[in-house]
Amino acid sequence: MKPGRIIAKAVLAFAGFLAVFPLLWTALNSLKNSVDIITRVPRLVFTPTLANISYILGRDSVITGLYNSVVACGSAVLIGVVLGLPAAYAVARYPNRWAGDIQFFVLSLRFLPPVAVAIPLMVIWLQIGLYDTLPALIVTYSLLTISVIMWLAIPAFQGVPKEVEEAAFVDGYGAYSVFWRIALPVAARSLIGAVAFSFVLVWNEFLIALMLSSSNAKTLPIVASELSQQGMNVPWGILNASVVLLSLPPLLFLGVLSGFLNSVFRQKKN
Amino acid sequence: MSAIVCSHVDKAYGATTVIRDLNLSIEEHEFVVFLGPSGCGKSTLLRMLAGLEDISGGEVSIGGKVVNDLDPGDRGIAMVFQNYALYPHMTIFDNIAFGLRRQKVPAPEIDKRVRAVAATLGLDPYLGRKPAELSGGQQQRVAIARAMIKTPKVFLFDEPLSNLDAKLRNHMRVEIARLHQSLKTTTVYVTHDQLEAMTLADRIVLLKDGVIEQIGSPAEIYGRPANIFVAGFIGTPNMNFIEVTVARSGNGWTLTGAGTALSIDGAGFHLQPGGRAVLGIRPPDLKTARDGDAGILQGTADLIEFHGNDALVTFGSGGKEISALVPARECPVLHAPVRYMFEEANIHLFDATSGASLRQQ
Repeated sequence: MKPGRIIAKAVLAFAGFLAVFPLLWTALNSLKNSVDIITRVPRLVFTPTLANISYILGRDSVITGLYNSVVACGSAVLIGVVLGLPAAYAVARYPNRWAGDIQFFVLSLRFLPPVAVAIPLMVIWLQIGLYDTLPALIVTYSLLTISVIMWLAIPAFQGVPKEVEEAAFVDGYGAYSVFWRIALPVAARSLIGAVAFSFVLVWNEFLIALMLSSSNAKTLPIVASELSQQGMNVPWGILNASVVLLSLPPLLFLGVLSGFLNSVFRQKKN
Repeated sequence: MSAIVCSHVDKAYGATTVIRDLNLSIEEHEFVVFLGPSGCGKSTLLRMLAGLEDISGGEVSIGGKVVNDLDPGDRGIAMVFQNYALYPHMTIFDNIAFGLRRQKVPAPEIDKRVRAVAATLGLDPYLGRKPAELSGGQQQRVAIARAMIKTPKVFLFDEPLSNLDAKLRNHMRVEIARLHQSLKTTTVYVTHDQLEAMTLADRIVLLKDGVIEQIGSPAEIYGRPANIFVAGFIGTPNMNFIEVTVARSGNGWTLTGAGTALSIDGAGFHLQPGGRAVLGIRPPDLKTARDGDAGILQGTADLIEFHGNDALVTFGSGGKEISALVPARECPVLHAPVRYMFEEANIHLFDATSGASLRQQ
């Protein structure tokens, strides 16, 4: 092997280590007793305990938070897909003179600091009487998912060769069939990435959730953050366990998605 | 009955007019080629026939029915695209069957017809594969199969061979010609390649800047070009053009230009004494001159390109570069003086200002 390749692989391995090690360490710490966590010399060998995890799963607030997160993020992503994908397709394939403005507007939603969005929204939901409810969170998150999905899906749809869609028109299909049968499946690979990204974005969202919920509609990130506020003694093991719990759904989601991708795009070998 | 009629067809994108007042009628079973330089509007015209572009003005009818407002699927056409435009996520079988499924053809019949078409085009072994697993030539054959299976009234080909390498292009050209011989479906074929146009067409429609320059059989277009553009566009190597002044001399005419004076009978042409004209001679029509020949162009051989059977000799005459395609054994050495003659039957004369042919119809 050439020295250049060896160096490149070493750099890659180091970057991979930087990315993966904190996650691994967090997972390990979630299985440790506090004594093993706060030692001066980090311990790789220890007696594992499930106490942290069972403590987390045993708390009602965590279960409610998990439920709220799954429902709010799941619904918002679903709404984002149902509204965002057709909107993106329309902008990509049937642009009118506002198409550029629409794209810029959608992006501009992400320019604003989240606080600037969250405060007016909080007032609105308070006035309507939906403050601290899941529907308020779902609608608010839908704003995020629609804009992110649109922004990422427009180039994905533009990447579908126009002639392929035209061939379907010549084959007798209408605009809606072409969207369903041609544009969606051909662009699926990039679209699924867009959907997954929007899910991770709202799943990890903290500030808006904090401002729109006081007790009932708290999402998992809020609940997890509250775990660190139990007096002077920081419960590191519990915190790490809650981080693991928080990370699992996006990982599962991505795992399911990549499995789906592989099954759709697996090349048939004859 | 004509298969396709375009009357007073216009196409404009905003203020830019791409096609102007175009009239054309294509007969049933005919193979018509739209030929022209890029940007001449030939693909736009084809796409208007297909229904993929709006028609800005005029009327297009296919099979006696005005189709201006019909969707592509309702026009009885099938189209083959330059980049094949196969559905990348479907198998070859599904690609070919996609149009029939739309027409609610029963599954067993779809299966039968797809297999029949696949057999004709030699696609049997690939029916279960995806387009990306096929070579360019195979993909183009799938695109043709997808068009054939619908048994359309009209086939539309949009530069179908441009993405193939030279050898495959020749092969597919022959296949398309055979296919048309057996199916006899009216075909409109767009290309910028004059060899494809000459070999495939019953009639060539030569377009420039959205206007038809000439319609005719390949032999007519080659032998009797209607104007200087057609003459220059068709034929490889390109026709020589020499600007001449026309003068009367006895019963005939004298053409003076490029350092020589050429005497011709001029019977077949509309000539004006003192007028300016452009003399056109194709390089293969120039023959090595013997002593006593009339109508002689002479100069010094500047460049010799060896083609195999023939050689292209370029020589300067009165400051004008002229090329002659001569048999390789008559090829002169570089910088040798050369003399070439032509027969009057093989020359073309064009009006110097309008570019129109001066040949009497």
